[in-house]
Amino acid sequence: MLVARYSAVAHRTAALLGAGGEAEDVVQEAFVKAFRHLTGFRREAAFKPWLLRIVANETHTMTRSRGRRSDLAQKVGAAPDLRTPDDPEEAAIATDRRARLLEAVQALPEGERQAVVCRYFLQLSEAETAEVLGCPLGSVKSRTFRGLAKLRKEVGRELS
Amino acid sequence: MNSPDDLEAELLELGEALDFPAPPPADVARAVRARLERPAPDPRPGVRWRLPRWRWVTAGVAILVAVLVGLTPQGQAAVAHILRFAGVEIHVGEPGPLPSGAPSPLPSETRVTLDRAREMVKFPILVPAQLGQPGDVRVSDGGRVVSMFWPGVRLDTYDGLLEVVWRKDLGEPWPEQVRISSAPGWWIAGPHGLTYFPSGAGASRPLVRRAEPTLIWQRSKVGYRLEGPSDLDRARKIAESLR
Repeated sequence: MLVARYSAVAHRTAALLGAGGEAEDVVQEAFVKAFRHLTGFRREAAFKPWLLRIVANETHTMTRSRGRRSDLAQKVGAAPDLRTPDDPEEAAIATDRRARLLEAVQALPEGERQAVVCRYFLQLSEAETAEVLGCPLGSVKSRTFRGLAKLRKEVGRELS
Repeated sequence: MNSPDDLEAELLELGEALDFPAPPPADVARAVRARLERPAPDPRPGVRWRLPRWRWVTAGVAILVAVLVGLTPQGQAAVAHILRFAGVEIHVGEPGPLPSGAPSPLPSETRVTLDRAREMVKFPILVPAQLGQPGDVRVSDGGRVVSMFWPGVRLDTYDGLLEVVWRKDLGEPWPEQVRISSAPGWWIAGPHGLTYFPSGAGASRPLVRRAEPTLIWQRSKVGYRLEGPSDLDRARKIAESLR
């Protein structure tokens, strides 16, 4: 029941935080840890951020042990999953812009990238993001703010 | 901080366009179960599980909390009273929100005919005359539980009055003590959390689900739980018509 409910978001989180092809492994391990540490899970806590924090930790451990982070932009660039408008030309422009935006997100420093990924790609609240990343709310705000400023500069410059 | 602007909207849109196919949840669940059955390694040092204080954000999460709390004895610290009766442990206190989602079948649940069920289990199987022949009969967990189904009604007959087979989590008020024929029983008038504890060593994990109003009673050495009838009178009539 637990797995059914959170499998998709857990995979998405692992993939977006850089687990790449090892997302499945990361997610399974995260669920195992979640079950084994249920006693550490407090009644008043929300489960999703708690689980996603384990996913984030597992992803971090995995990428650190591999000494790399999977290149999200490449993976996404290769996948035809970007939904695009009907008009081919517009579609090409939109795809191109998205690809560049994604590259810019990938190029952000670790902390800012994680904050942007959580806030916008995973659509978590600031408080949830703080919990998932294990940092104070203030840091989430400042990292998101700095990240957005950089992205705005990067993407805005390319477009003008 | 800042109001949603074009870039934020674009990021949200981009996020939605990023599709990461996840394997079917059933496969993930199977893989996780397999991993859980392996012995637990020592917790990795440096990984901290304590999290900052947080409030429930959605009802969905709250429901999950109830499921989790049901699985962990430690999570039940808030329970005020425990009542043990006929293989059922009733926890009355602050049960939290009810579990949701499709209930899992009991361990090794098999669909059989009534006659076959009688061959498979050690205790007598009685059928309530009020309801007639069951639409469905299932034997689970090595013959420990026989479940019979009629529209909107489920009757579990089970062996194992000496151990805890079921656990029920509910809030006030206390269940009502009743007599079924001359046997003692309890009536739980509202929906509640129900946990099944599989038998034997190396058993699978407890199964948690939401249960509807339930009458539990005991007759000879067999426990009964009748789930579904919404009032005690009807439940009692059914229970007393066992033949």
